[in-house]
Amino acid sequence: MILTEESVRKIKEKLQQYPQPKSVILPALTVAYRQVGYVDADIYREISHIINIPTVEVAEAATFYTMFAKKPRGKYLIQVCHNISCALLGADSLIGYIEEKLGIKIGETTEDNLFTLVTVECLGSCATAPMMQINQDYYEKLTKEKVDQILEDLRSKA
Amino acid sequence: MFYSPVRTNAAEVAQSNRLHLFRYVEDPEQVKVEKFEEHGGYVAWKKVLAEMEPSQVIEEVKNSGLRGRGGAGFPTGLKWSFVPKDSPKPRYLCCNADESEPGTCKDRVLMERDPHAIIEGMAIASYAIGCHQMFIYIRGEFAHCADCMEKAMKEAYEHGHLGKNIHGSGFDLDMIVHTGGGAYICGEETSLLNSIEGERGMSRIRPPFPAIEGLYSCPTIVNNVESLASVPHIINHGAGWYKSLGTEKSCGSKIFSLSGHVKQPGNYEVELGFSLKKLIYDKDYGGGILGDKKLKGVIPGGSSTPFLTPDMIDIKLDYESLVEGGSMLGSGAVIVFHEDTCIVWVIKRLIRFYRHESCGKCTPCREGTAWLEELINRIEAGRGKPGDVEKVEEICGNILGHTVCPLGDAAVMPILSTLKLWRDEWQYHIDHGKCMVKTDFEFK
Amino acid sequence: MADDIKDKVKTDVPTVTFTMDGQEVTVAKGTTILEAARSIGIHIPTFCWHPKLKPVGSCRMCYVEIEKWPKLAVSCVTEATDGMIVHTESDKVKRGRRATLEFLLLNHPLDCPTCDQGGECELQNLTFEHGIDDSRFDFQKNRFTSDTDNTVFDDKRIGPEIILNRNRCILCYRCVRANKEAFGEYDLGVYERGNIAEINAAPGQQVNSPFSGNLPEICPVGALTSVDWRYKMRVWLAGKTPSICPYSSSGSNILIYTDDNKNLIRRVTSRCNDDIDDGWLSDITRYGYQIANSEERLQTPLIKKEGKQVEATWDEALEVICNRFKEITEKKGKVCIGGLISPSLDNASLYCSSKLFRTVFNNNNIDFRTDYRMLPNKPDSYFGMLCNRSFRITDIDDSDVIVVLGSDLIREHHNEYLRIRKAVNFNNARVFSLNPYSVKSADVAQAEIVYNIGTDEIILVAIGLAAIEMGLVEQGLAQGFKEKVKLGSLAEATEVCGVSSDDVKLVARALAGDGKVSVIVGELITRSHGREAVASALFNLSRLLGIDKKGQMAVLARYANSRGAEKLGLLPIPTGAQVEMLKAMWGKFPDAEPQTTDAMLALMHKEEISGGLVLGGNPIMLYPDRQFITEGLEKLDFLVACDLFESETTELADVVLPMSSWAEYEGSYVNLEGCNQVACQAIKHIGQSKPAFEIIRLIAEKIGTSLFESDEQMATEIEQLLSCEPDNATPDNFVDVLPLSEEVDPDFPIPLCICDDPHHTGALTQKAPSLTNFTGEAYIEMSPDLAARLEVSEGQPVRVESPVGKIVMPVKVSKHIDNDVVIIPRNFSQIRVTSLLMRKKRVDRVRITKVDE
Ligand SMILES: Cc1cc2nc3c(=O)[nH]c(=O)nc-3n(C[C@H](O)[C@H](O)[C@H](O)COP(=O)(O)O)c2cc1C
Ligand code: SF4
Ligand code: FES
Repeated sequence: MILTEESVRKIKEKLQQYPQPKSVILPALTVAYRQVGYVDADIYREISHIINIPTVEVAEAATFYTMFAKKPRGKYLIQVCHNISCALLGADSLIGYIEEKLGIKIGETTEDNLFTLVTVECLGSCATAPMMQINQDYYEKLTKEKVDQILEDLRSKA
Repeated sequence: MFYSPVRTNAAEVAQSNRLHLFRYVEDPEQVKVEKFEEHGGYVAWKKVLAEMEPSQVIEEVKNSGLRGRGGAGFPTGLKWSFVPKDSPKPRYLCCNADESEPGTCKDRVLMERDPHAIIEGMAIASYAIGCHQMFIYIRGEFAHCADCMEKAMKEAYEHGHLGKNIHGSGFDLDMIVHTGGGAYICGEETSLLNSIEGERGMSRIRPPFPAIEGLYSCPTIVNNVESLASVPHIINHGAGWYKSLGTEKSCGSKIFSLSGHVKQPGNYEVELGFSLKKLIYDKDYGGGILGDKKLKGVIPGGSSTPFLTPDMIDIKLDYESLVEGGSMLGSGAVIVFHEDTCIVWVIKRLIRFYRHESCGKCTPCREGTAWLEELINRIEAGRGKPGDVEKVEEICGNILGHTVCPLGDAAVMPILSTLKLWRDEWQYHIDHGKCMVKTDFEFK
Repeated sequence: MADDIKDKVKTDVPTVTFTMDGQEVTVAKGTTILEAARSIGIHIPTFCWHPKLKPVGSCRMCYVEIEKWPKLAVSCVTEATDGMIVHTESDKVKRGRRATLEFLLLNHPLDCPTCDQGGECELQNLTFEHGIDDSRFDFQKNRFTSDTDNTVFDDKRIGPEIILNRNRCILCYRCVRANKEAFGEYDLGVYERGNIAEINAAPGQQVNSPFSGNLPEICPVGALTSVDWRYKMRVWLAGKTPSICPYSSSGSNILIYTDDNKNLIRRVTSRCNDDIDDGWLSDITRYGYQIANSEERLQTPLIKKEGKQVEATWDEALEVICNRFKEITEKKGKVCIGGLISPSLDNASLYCSSKLFRTVFNNNNIDFRTDYRMLPNKPDSYFGMLCNRSFRITDIDDSDVIVVLGSDLIREHHNEYLRIRKAVNFNNARVFSLNPYSVKSADVAQAEIVYNIGTDEIILVAIGLAAIEMGLVEQGLAQGFKEKVKLGSLAEATEVCGVSSDDVKLVARALAGDGKVSVIVGELITRSHGREAVASALFNLSRLLGIDKKGQMAVLARYANSRGAEKLGLLPIPTGAQVEMLKAMWGKFPDAEPQTTDAMLALMHKEEISGGLVLGGNPIMLYPDRQFITEGLEKLDFLVACDLFESETTELADVVLPMSSWAEYEGSYVNLEGCNQVACQAIKHIGQSKPAFEIIRLIAEKIGTSLFESDEQMATEIEQLLSCEPDNATPDNFVDVLPLSEEVDPDFPIPLCICDDPHHTGALTQKAPSLTNFTGEAYIEMSPDLAARLEVSEGQPVRVESPVGKIVMPVKVSKHIDNDVVIIPRNFSQIRVTSLLMRKKRVDRVRITKVDE
């Protein structure tokens, strides 16, 4: 079992709320993703077992949604928005800046397994562009200074 | 202090007796139910429960002239009235908080700073359509919004605004906060329903419309956050009051998300019919173009709407004026870009987004957006071949009106509009192998 | 489809009238434009639409133009409405379809020369029609590369018989939809989204359901192809022969593709018959043909000489048969010869056998039911009545309530299982599954009732009592019903069955309602000793609740021609009407004592029957008491066995005759609903084999009596017999239900059920390599709980012992089973489960122990 008792309990709680068990697929994936940091076939099977829905249904839903990483990644997943509003305010050079700072390219993970850098489409933070999301948290109206600070804080926290 | 540092015009709203949605969004206490109640919250809900028949609520909202703020602008009251009165099936209400249209960030502010307003609106809508289980579908990335809504929901239950026999009325209502998994298409109402059902978020063929056969094949109403948040105000102040706001056909106020090359990006609540030019240039709103450069173009209603050129920005921000001007009000996301922006570069961003978000159900959207992305990337990079621009235009034509849901149209309408408005610039890429203007936005 | 629509119009539903390509069309309200077009022969191209699936309108190929509509309409999901003016071939339509085709071709490989779909590819055909090439797309095509196999082709074996090439897939989603919707299988899925979406097997699973072969057939392109047909030949070079499935009792309509130069069958596809198979084939039907091609087929007659079977000519063999039979009858009388005839044979073969025994041997020693236990030797059996009733497959479609008693349908009646799914999907039918263990096919059921094994008749009584208790039936009827029941109350009955009375009430309420009803009685009942009690209980229930007036109830015939065998009088005791007709035709009818299989075997033990004829089948494998039948046959002075392959039965024979398979001659078969269908000759006889009917006629001739003056005479006699309508007899009143219970020997506590593996049927399909690719070895199926208690896991061997036998076999853990019943399929030649069985038992019980390696 990859899912902790706590996660299983949360999923079962959802089962109580929803009119139909299949609806719990997405909430269950969210619970699993928060716990594990990614989802994959083993997790699909565990979820399928808990909510009693065929594994394929869980896998089909999970792979449709791009928010869930499908492979293990660094402790902090840096997701930089590169859609239009952010791009107009320099998202591309922000990405370049982070790449340089961390010494990795988009899609890569730092050697200490701390940071993974990816780009994402619009995260609904357009009027506070440029922005990025690290794990669940939003960082908006970014400047070089702020990025330095954020990365430093995370590093020291780790 | 706030999770999102976004700028709003709350101060102005507080002064006004016409604007209302943003009145308390700069008050950090507003998220608490006590504060919300102190500010007149849940009064409309109690009034509805105590004094109004469901049909009266629908009538009131119909009369107010409120139209959907999610993009399509469909009259809200009319939509509610489509729910069959005699169906033995349960009914559902889904508040659409998927907010994924590039440029749009308005619902987020409401969720983070005034969540009870949404719950109250949802509750009133549920009562009107006879629903006892309502959902709010929040895009998965908005984890903080989901937390805010969960917290507010808990408080609402505790204060007896939700649950069994609410305020002694005999009416039961439950709520579920459902989060998505990262898919723009799930903002489209039928995909949203599939997503709640645990299916892949693919759009459904209509008819049947959700109001007849929606969630779990039961009558379902899907409404945008902002639409629902407007409802309590209509109940409190009356349909007549609401109708007096805005223009004749576009009643009420609306939040516009202003982003891109403006000095003061932010969310601004204004009456419908407000001047676009004022929104961009006025010191209380956008405050002018970044670096005082020349304006090149505006997307007025989110990335899916056709563009406007500087000579068109005297336009009024309402449903009918924008259609007349060749565009749409959409979700009210105004994206501004100045003279240093290459139009093909803009389109390149957008088509990548639509290709990424195409659900893959229908052929033209799935294959067409991918083909367009390849072609547009090539053109932008200066490797376009003669005839490529025409090809882009033709492919757009083959997608437009050919897809299951409006995502296909949304992907190509902006492209077609730029082909009309800035054709020379497209062609320049082919002829000269480079952009007409250098696009290089520094991040400082 | 055309017929469906006409039907809709017939039954008084509101209609709409509109214009299509200038033609006025009237169709039932709710008909789509596409269906309407097909009903009048207008062809609209489609990819995602499939006649048997719910439309999804996603491929965007079926455009039509509707006047006054701003956009092209997608005809597969657009309902026709009054006054619509539709154009199916306008320029706008053509442009729309052309655009779709161009999109589909963008990433589609143009590898038609090496693609198995070539020649029957819908994409290829339409591309040709529209004159499109892919030259406008000048980018690298999207390519999936397989992680394991050939990187260029992405060919990936995703199931025992299925190869997936994701690059050729056009994402019409037919396969996943059919798999889930029509078959209820969850081994195939679609992953990712947008243009990188892909079809693939479920994580860590194989696509291996009993319906998997349909997937390549419905794939419009070469994305899903079958291992069976792969690279065998180009489709246009194959000969095609219409035929009937020789394994299914519903008689699926099939098309046999042959390589006529090599005299081999190459594949079987569906020849969709909406009334019978609905266009779906089980894998057994699809791949079972391989037995005909098998290298192991018997090629020549064999005669036992000094204990060894040696090759012989037909003349020699017939000579020996004739002499030995004559010898026996001279010595002991004609009653001394018995016949066990396979119900999979065609009408002619069955009828000739009956005529041989009755007119030449002058006895009634003939039976086709070799896998039943202890059949009564009396004519007025209620079970017999139940078998004789009419049943229509299509009546399942619009049944509101469907009750399945004693059957895992997916293992015995594939077509009917799919029908029931259809009734649920399209008609909201309520299905109730009543079984002694939880079965896979109960997945469609609204309620599944698992009752104590051996209480099949009590559960029916319980339903009746529930209806009475809820006041759903009239007093008089209630009284009559109760009088015949030894149990006082519902509570008592449910206690015996070990079920909840709420569940039983659910079934009772459904059956007592006004809806149309189908009651299906399956093999767990028919093969069991308790069948007579069940039949009486069912007749009582029907009388109580009026089931007969609201629909149908029947024992479904099991083999391809079981129903034909009944209709042709191939039972020791034919019905009265049959005897009359036979007397008239033959001028006589033997008055010898009728003998069932069991009775004949008993007489063999006593050496009162000394000559035997086995025509097809392998009774030793099928009869539920291996020791009893083996010893019986061994005691015979002389045994003739005719079959396609050597078996433990032919091993005992003094003469073995090579029989032709069903594909090698034209024959007709009566399906479970009484419909007579023809299978044409697809290939020439293999070796020196001959059709069974010819063998019988040759034997008769050799003995000195010609069975018929001409072939026509034979045909006429058969036709006449078949024309006897089923009598649908019902007992005149409530009848006694005589429950049959047995003491449980504490040494052998665990009930054992015998059935077929979902990929095999009877004894023969083991010779089809494709089917053994799915399952090739015997196993014992049990609940996870029992496996845990035995401390064994999947694949580990256990010892299974009954009072008469002992076998060792691997365990299969089945999640859906949740009580202590074990199931062993009877199909596997290495391990013969019949050696554990005793013919007189109603419920077999065994003891299971872990084998320490
Ligand atoms: C591709 C697509 C994306 C959409 N995204 C959103 C969204 O994020 N939020 C929203 O409220 N409506 C969205 N809509 C509109 C909804 O389908 C629907 O019209 C709306 O939620 C109805 O609510 P309203 O009547 O209150 O506007 C989207 C529509 C399409 C076609
Ligand atoms: S594999 Fe075949 S049937 Fe399945 S989606 Fe692809 S093209 Fe359609
Ligand atoms: S056949 Fe109608 S859209 Fe595919």
